[in-house]
Amino acid sequence: MILFDGKTYESSEQDRLLNELEERIPVILSKEQLSPEVVIDAVEQLRVDLLKGRFDDLLTAFPEDTVETYKQQAEALLSKEHLHKKLVTELGNTEEYVTDKIDGFSQIKVKKMPLGVLFHIAAGNMDFLPAYSLAEGLMTGNINILKLPSADNGLSLKLIMQLIEYRPELKDYIYVFDTASTDIQGMRKMAELSNAISVWGSDMAIEAVRGLAPTGAKIIEWGQKLGFCYVSKPGESADADAKLEGLAKHIATTKQLLCSSCQIIYIDTEDMNEVKAFAERFLPILETAVNGNATQEIGIRARDTLVSYTQRLKSYLGEEDRRDNVLRGKGCSVIIAEDSALELSPMMCNVLVKRLPRKDIGKVLYAHRYHLQTAGLICPDEDRKSISELFVQCGLIRVTEPKDMSAYFPGECHDGEYALNRYMRIVNIEC
Amino acid sequence: MKLRRKLFSSKDPYDCTKQQLFLDACKENFNHLINNCDDYKKICEGLDIHSSEDIKGVEDIPIIPTMLMKQHDFRSGRYMVMATSSGTSGKKSHVRFEFGALWSALKMSIRVTRYHGIMTAKPCRYIVMGYKPHRSNKTAVAKTAYLTTFLAPAISRKFILKHTSEGYKPDFESIVEALKKYEKGKAPVRFMGFPSYTFFLFRLLEERGLSFKLPKGSKVMLGGGWKQFYQEAADKETFYKLAKKTLNIDEENIVEFFGAVEHPILYTDCAYHHFHVPVYSNIVIRDPDTLEPIGMEKTGLVNLISPLCKATPILSIMTDDLGILHDGANCPCGVKSPYLEIVGRVAPDDIKTCAAGAADILQGVKV
Repeated sequence: MILFDGKTYESSEQDRLLNELEERIPVILSKEQLSPEVVIDAVEQLRVDLLKGRFDDLLTAFPEDTVETYKQQAEALLSKEHLHKKLVTELGNTEEYVTDKIDGFSQIKVKKMPLGVLFHIAAGNMDFLPAYSLAEGLMTGNINILKLPSADNGLSLKLIMQLIEYRPELKDYIYVFDTASTDIQGMRKMAELSNAISVWGSDMAIEAVRGLAPTGAKIIEWGQKLGFCYVSKPGESADADAKLEGLAKHIATTKQLLCSSCQIIYIDTEDMNEVKAFAERFLPILETAVNGNATQEIGIRARDTLVSYTQRLKSYLGEEDRRDNVLRGKGCSVIIAEDSALELSPMMCNVLVKRLPRKDIGKVLYAHRYHLQTAGLICPDEDRKSISELFVQCGLIRVTEPKDMSAYFPGECHDGEYALNRYMRIVNIEC
Repeated sequence: MKLRRKLFSSKDPYDCTKQQLFLDACKENFNHLINNCDDYKKICEGLDIHSSEDIKGVEDIPIIPTMLMKQHDFRSGRYMVMATSSGTSGKKSHVRFEFGALWSALKMSIRVTRYHGIMTAKPCRYIVMGYKPHRSNKTAVAKTAYLTTFLAPAISRKFILKHTSEGYKPDFESIVEALKKYEKGKAPVRFMGFPSYTFFLFRLLEERGLSFKLPKGSKVMLGGGWKQFYQEAADKETFYKLAKKTLNIDEENIVEFFGAVEHPILYTDCAYHHFHVPVYSNIVIRDPDTLEPIGMEKTGLVNLISPLCKATPILSIMTDDLGILHDGANCPCGVKSPYLEIVGRVAPDDIKTCAAGAADILQGVKV
């Protein structure tokens, strides 16, 4: 299904519509700019209707408690107040201003403008991400082409159509395609129509987009990141057990699928015996959290088991053989490794435990600088400040409580930048 | 592969007394795989199964999930034919068959279809609700649908999916035309292929108020993957009613098959629509959390075992179906072996990690 000019079309009409879009873009760009207030108003209406239960039938695919959490988040994050705050936080002053007079130079008017046309290639690992990414493009006044992830279940399209229903003037700025993963020609055409491409994904995906994009197009990357938790002197840190429980809960709920999820627990030591002792201590905590979070839905449980088993077999096919160092629990495992590399775990509640003495932190983090994002931290209070500082100096973006590694903090940046700012440019007009 | 030959030569395709022979044939197959497929060996060693001595029962054979086969291409020796699953989004398993496997499969097909009265000498007209064979299509579905048209001598074959310059397209109109012609003839008509297309055809006929009285002995044969089977299951009663209404075909003349490319055993439903496990395979239902066997009458992951093939390690595989194994002893059809009911699938394979992320969007992009 394609959404174009507020109407839906069959996927087979893609080529014709893309040609038509090429004609439309210059016309829309020449019109008066889209005000963020229109978008904020539409999102606010969506929020109100969502809380009234108007979309409950669309949400039946999610477990009940997830729906509740989503609604709570929507109530706070989609509100007019929050969106206005987001605009100010991420864009600063959007009012145009004139530069100070300096003798011998002309003065200029300075203001922020949309990039023009944004092509979003959204990932499917977060529910609502495609629609969210598009909303950010709209708030900055851009024309948006959205390529839906293959796993999208139709929810994104329905939400987006709803926005247009509230504020029909948005239809000029929204073009959603369900292009197949293999339709390179179609994607290249979309890229060619755009000023910038916003892409979420792995190193490989981003590399492919770089190859696909016209030379001049700006590529806005939201790349793959790897989260970890650092544990230093757990014996001396207050509430270490509670914090480990929080970490286990985080692993169980995110199943390690997010960029911010904990893949590795680093222990501040050189002694492998300490690492093993920690793994033995953590396994029952993780097992309890995993079982506490176990869904009753057999289809999901079976899938997770299959994925986890498949990952395990894949590790046997790989070069390294870690089978002697795996502590298995029900629905989870703790894998002890001797190296200190930051890497992806087998996920689905199978966490790696490695040693990383404090003196080596800089070396390890520098080696993995492209993948740094979130670190949870368990340490004595007096060390908290210095370790946090060390982390951010070495490239980390977020340092959090272990339980909050994937939490959303209003006002937060994403991968060190504000999305809205990346979707705008600054223009100068001589006075 | 002496034991395989013996097993696949069983006279009764539902012989329940051959469990020991089955296990021995599996061990024979295991010994071949572990000595000829390095990847299989690595997996077995990882799972602590070092030789056939470690296999006490069929449930001990290392299981390879089809999920892994879609990500990793296993090879174990020479082969004659390769088939792929009809996977979407570019994820397909490749299964290779050597001559011995094909020969065994043929013997199995003859025994099973004869048992169910599908293989006859009376010439038929075939309407294949599936793909017309084309060199660009390597899916097992296309091949098996075509092969079934040899179960009784064919006077003619019509295919609903035609290969055009824009790929496969369904062509219902020409099927309706053909039915008008066949109704007047004497030769029985056999429909074969995807339940979904067949169902669609029935609906189309009903909407247009068309009904045909097809010659005696006409049959509807359904197959083409477990996915379709499951999705249509809820509508089975409607399906039977529509077959009677539009084509005058009775419920007992509707035969269903299923199998998977990774487990190419022919399961055929009995008169009571039960898929009994034939002598060539065993099914173990496993706990959705621990993968331990859970016995009969409980829902779990479906582990399919058969020593059919040497050229690919598909001795013991696990699909993404959820099923129940029922005790077959009381089925009035007379077959005593347990029967499998597919009750659903695991949650959609849409686990998208940041790592996978947009990678699936760009499948096939080489830059």
